[in-house]
Amino acid sequence: MTPGWAAAAFITSLVVAWAIAYRFLGAYMHRAVTSPHHLRVEKLTYRAIGINPDKEQSSAGYTRSLLALSAVSIVGVFALQRLQGHLWLADGMAGVSPRVAWNTAVSFVTNTNWQTYSGESTMTHLTQMAGLAVQNFVSAAVGIAVAVALIRGFTRRASKTLGNFWVDLTRIIVRILLPLAILGAILFLAAGMVQNLTSSIDVTTLTGAQQTLTGGPVASQEIIKNLGTNGGGFYNVNSAHPFENPNFATNWLEIFVIGLIPFSLPYVFGRMAGDRRQGFAIVGAMAAIAITSIVAVNMLELNPSGTVPSAIGSSMEGRETRLGVAGSATFAAMTTLTSTGSVTSFHDSYSGLGGSVLTLNMMLGEVAPGGVGSGLYGMLILAIITVFVAGLMVGRTPEYLGKKIGPREMKLASLYFLVTPALVLTGTAAAISSPTQRSAMLNTGGHGFSEVLYAFTSASNNNGSAFAGLATDSTWWATALGLCMALGRFIPIVLVLALAGRLARQGITPQSAGTLPTSTTLFAGMVVSVTLVTVALTFLPALALGPLAEGLF
Amino acid sequence: MTTIAPPEPHAHRTSRRHKAQSKMSGRDLLAAIPGAVRKLDPRTMWRNPVMLIVEVGAAFTTILAIADPSWFSILITIWLWATVLFANAAEAVAEGRGKAQADSLRRNRQLSTAYRAIGWVAGSDIRAVVTKEVAATELAKGDIVIVKAGQAIPADGDVIEGAASIDESAITGESAPVIRESGGDRSAVTGGTRVLSDAIAIRVTQAPGAGFVDRMIALVEGANRQKTPNEIALNILLAALTLVFILVVVSIQPMAIYAKLTQGAAKDSVALTDSGLTGIVLVALLVCLIPTTIGALLSAIGIAGMDRLVQRNVLATSGRAVAAAGDVSTLLLDKTGTITFGDRQARGQRPAAGVEVEDLVACARLASLADETPEGRSIVTYVESQHLGQGDSYDLPRLRDAPGTERGDSRTARSARRCAPVDRCCFRGRVAQREPRRWGRRGGHRFLAIAGDARRGTRRR
Repeated sequence: MTPGWAAAAFITSLVVAWAIAYRFLGAYMHRAVTSPHHLRVEKLTYRAIGINPDKEQSSAGYTRSLLALSAVSIVGVFALQRLQGHLWLADGMAGVSPRVAWNTAVSFVTNTNWQTYSGESTMTHLTQMAGLAVQNFVSAAVGIAVAVALIRGFTRRASKTLGNFWVDLTRIIVRILLPLAILGAILFLAAGMVQNLTSSIDVTTLTGAQQTLTGGPVASQEIIKNLGTNGGGFYNVNSAHPFENPNFATNWLEIFVIGLIPFSLPYVFGRMAGDRRQGFAIVGAMAAIAITSIVAVNMLELNPSGTVPSAIGSSMEGRETRLGVAGSATFAAMTTLTSTGSVTSFHDSYSGLGGSVLTLNMMLGEVAPGGVGSGLYGMLILAIITVFVAGLMVGRTPEYLGKKIGPREMKLASLYFLVTPALVLTGTAAAISSPTQRSAMLNTGGHGFSEVLYAFTSASNNNGSAFAGLATDSTWWATALGLCMALGRFIPIVLVLALAGRLARQGITPQSAGTLPTSTTLFAGMVVSVTLVTVALTFLPALALGPLAEGLF
Repeated sequence: MTTIAPPEPHAHRTSRRHKAQSKMSGRDLLAAIPGAVRKLDPRTMWRNPVMLIVEVGAAFTTILAIADPSWFSILITIWLWATVLFANAAEAVAEGRGKAQADSLRRNRQLSTAYRAIGWVAGSDIRAVVTKEVAATELAKGDIVIVKAGQAIPADGDVIEGAASIDESAITGESAPVIRESGGDRSAVTGGTRVLSDAIAIRVTQAPGAGFVDRMIALVEGANRQKTPNEIALNILLAALTLVFILVVVSIQPMAIYAKLTQGAAKDSVALTDSGLTGIVLVALLVCLIPTTIGALLSAIGIAGMDRLVQRNVLATSGRAVAAAGDVSTLLLDKTGTITFGDRQARGQRPAAGVEVEDLVACARLASLADETPEGRSIVTYVESQHLGQGDSYDLPRLRDAPGTERGDSRTARSARRCAPVDRCCFRGRVAQREPRRWGRRGGHRFLAIAGDARRGTRRR
């Protein structure tokens, strides 16, 4: 089997697995978020945090709860990192420096998981488990909760409430994330991943060198890292580390787990909207972009154009031989298409065009399929813009699922759409115009520029993968990227919840002959083109100076 | 949205339809240029942010082109100004056409005359009071006017003396005349309606320019053009896109400087030097990226849409109404609309296969001569206006050939009675099945069919 066919089989098996998950996990998640019953453990949680689970919140209340929880989380994770040297399982490690602690706290709470530190030498096992792994669950649940609130906005009729944030959060963690994580961790363990609480071991390698091996609770963190599209690795080299991603099978499993929830959420949308085809249209648009991108990265990496790769026949620089070029390329595409950011290979080493596809994946706003929850709400915003543009063509007030898209709704959708380009472009321009910040680049020319552009794109879109080759632990970089992560996460969430509140207050206009059907292939195609056109126009100039220039010349 | 037919001052209601204006001509465009230039004022442009940015960019490149003239900078500057002017011209043309429509309405308004009472005191005899003939437009609020049978009421007002039957069908759609008299709550009259009998004294209550016809004029001129919700939403989207692209263009400057810096081999060019891209290139890039086409034509499209409606004698009270019309899926009607002719009127004739137009027309007229209903009268009016030359009286050659056409012939009245207008189709045989259905499909109008075979002198109902 040639590498091309092997890659095709790899991708096809993933797509089939996701398609099955879409139907069954989707149905399960739909039951979990809409069920009127509370589990006993959930009731205990509600009593402990002191809320009435049957009292619903308005859009403003929902937003306040979410922001409050996130603020508390950031402070908590920050404090834990600073104090870790005095706590259990310290293993001789000191507290984390303030700028790295701030950057990491923001990074994990915003589901970005950008890492300016190397995990094995900076974070204690306690910080990893009680701080970072907990945030992996919570930040993922927050994303899904916002998506569910937006769906409720579409499906409720003249309602002032969007549900209860604490109930949504608890249910998503207890009923969806925890069971899946436990199941996945066992699978990972069986496939050869590490899970222990031992201190580091000094060993003599085959060549006689001394090496320190750090163990730890890897499998349990690895599963939620990918399941919750977080991406913060236990080790510095993330999923390229043999303890985090031992073999081809775990690689397949990790990629599958990354896409599992993002690809299944549109089913929940379709079921809650009362028309499964609505979910099909959304997942169809996501899949079209995702598959195209995965295939493109595979093709560009399997047919490398550089001097060295051409000479040796494959581009193996920055990749693990046990995972192969195609396995790495598919992982890279999925990790940038979702907001995961875990890596099995160094994106820095990809060909110019391959690297630009990865950057473009994130620039799309990570909507295909995107982060858990954030992908779905991002895609629904794009669907609103599509409905609006299409509605103008036929001269009717645009409607989506019976909700009229008027000036106020458009204002919120447009602002949502403005946030990320503003952060990415101003951040990149600010960094590139200052000689001091430019010195953080380890490369010059187009490639150095790509590194900066990639860093800001990754942070603003809450991806967290790094292009490498950029030293971002200076105060300026840690602060700037931390701000990009926080603003790129919470401004869109506030806008989405405000939009959901407005939509929920509306009645539902009955369908008529003039209503644009939003469950057709045509509509899915229109959503894809709106996504591509808006992004291409916005980022093409910047891409042209960096990755595209590298790839073409 | 309201369908209107402008009230006409004279008794003969002829063609109800305003002549549709011709398609856009070069002259329209020329006439619009002064308007387009006037619209360059930033205070006017402010309403259209996308084009304002183009204008600011054009002004900026002008300065740059003067400071450092080159073919490139001059050409770009000319193109940018042309873009702004074109956007304004499109809007000015659309507005100009609305104005022309308004002018024709206004002419009607000026033609109608009023009889202003001089030295009116309460209780004066209406028929004895001295009046002065003035144009309706010269009336002021508080003036007393006398309106006699057959005259149109010149302005909105209250009856202060007398009582009269008034045809208000133009406004209410009710074809039966109503009584308006002084005192009580039946004293208000509307400009444009007509007194059918008696005479009344009216105190004008609306200053000129605020009456009902004036409101129509204002609407057509687009003076009160409201933005539709869709337009507002689109403007928001355009503004957002424009903002993004401003960011794109601003941020490209440091990137370009860096790119130039790290590629020593790159030579300086008109567009790029060590200090980055020139302002002209940046402005040109921005104008290419921002949605100028939609931004430029948006208001023109709105005005043009209303203009198209006016050509069909439909008055949209606002752009909002046009947008709302797009959302209509079910239309419920309660009798006829307001501000229309409430009575059915003959508008055309469609002979069945094998029937000559002249026969049909002659027969229709004869059948309606004795019919005193609004329909009957309208048929006579229609036939006479369409088939008799100016000043020509009732003797078309073919009319005379038709049976019972001789005036004074006792058969006239008889045949007229027998040929009373009917509401429903009365053809027989296959024609009866086919023809009316075909017409019905075409227009959906009510039609009045006259049955009969004029040549054979038999008529069937």
